Amino acid sequence: MWGARGSVPSPGPETTRYGGNTSCLQVTLEDGTVIVLDAGTGIRNLGLALAGAAPRIHLLLTHLHLDHIQGLMFFAPAFRPRTEIVVWGPRSPEASLQDRIARYISAPLSPVEMRELPCEVSFLEAPTTEWEIGSAHIEAASVTHRGPTLGYRITEGDTSLCYIPDHEPGLGADLSELAPEWISGYELGCRASLLVHDCQYSDREYPEHIGWGHSRLEDSLTFARRVEAQRVLLFHHDPLHTDDWLDSFAGTASERWAALGGDPARLELAVERREIRLGAAEPAPL
Amino acid sequence: MGQPLELILARNLMSSISTPSVLVDTDGVLLFYNDAAAAMLGQRFEEAGRMPWQEWGERFGPFDEEGAAIPFDDLPLTIALREGRPAHHHVTISAQTGDRHAVEVSAMPLVSAQGGFRGAIAFFWSDGT
Repeated sequence: MWGARGSVPSPGPETTRYGGNTSCLQVTLEDGTVIVLDAGTGIRNLGLALAGAAPRIHLLLTHLHLDHIQGLMFFAPAFRPRTEIVVWGPRSPEASLQDRIARYISAPLSPVEMRELPCEVSFLEAPTTEWEIGSAHIEAASVTHRGPTLGYRITEGDTSLCYIPDHEPGLGADLSELAPEWISGYELGCRASLLVHDCQYSDREYPEHIGWGHSRLEDSLTFARRVEAQRVLLFHHDPLHTDDWLDSFAGTASERWAALGGDPARLELAVERREIRLGAAEPAPL
Repeated sequence: MGQPLELILARNLMSSISTPSVLVDTDGVLLFYNDAAAAMLGQRFEEAGRMPWQEWGERFGPFDEEGAAIPFDDLPLTIALREGRPAHHHVTISAQTGDRHAVEVSAMPLVSAQGGFRGAIAFFWSDGT
């Protein structure tokens, strides 16, 4: 995890442990294929860490809010001529994926234009269905957020990762009572080995943010229980939430998760630089 | 199989408003109507359940001002579904209680941001008669 923060980077002494970089996950498949989920500011450190090790990178964008693309212009592989970057993202009736991203990588917001990038970059509007990348099966589906937004499920063998970083499935709905077919993102998350899910707000904070496209703790946990996720990472921390605040929040989340019948050892808050190995070689839970 | 996001959002909206409304999928299956519609129809959706749109028409009308059944093909939802365009009609609906309600019906197709046709939604507005 190269970035677990939501909305805006929040560096500083109060966020050193959970991290201040915005959304970015690196997924390395068994065959070595590198899939990157979102290009928040965390992708800058990922680019430095890759150091040319991955000649072909698949970047799956959930949506184009700035906290999910801001690091793209500082992604070192984009400046290497022999790197191929395939960018997947949601379709919009308004403009192509490439044109929408180019609004950021162009003047006056950027000193570099997209056409100047030395890497080989292509843009593919993700079908909201299924396709293959390397040894993985990819599924994408539209989910409840502001603007065209996708969630992803990456399956390799019998291991699956569901990534829905920006999601408000409880908007106008009681998740505990809805039939599964009426729950946004249900199929993506269904029995995932690991669910990485939005949990930007506490229940107390949420009333002032209804409709902003993010989940409160209650909805995040209920969603995770409804989809029967085997392991859960609460993600997209609010920039106002300090390390100490998140420590306390983690305790609350653990108690609430247990009250819902979940195993507290299978729930944690996302932490920048955390590495998790899934599948046959998965270590014992925390 | 989960419902498309557009239908999920439409249902969430319908559940949150007091304007009677119904939701159908691309096959014309009535997927949901809200409590406001239930009050007008005299039957909650949870009791009625899903049904083909044609069956809905047979159960609740609608009728024209002379009391004649409006042909299925002329109903706003049918037009929205088949022709992919909004449609409006003044109709009388027969509730399960035997009451009749004169209502304005506006139906429109639901097309996703991805460009796919997802179904249609109809709103009812009672003129109080």
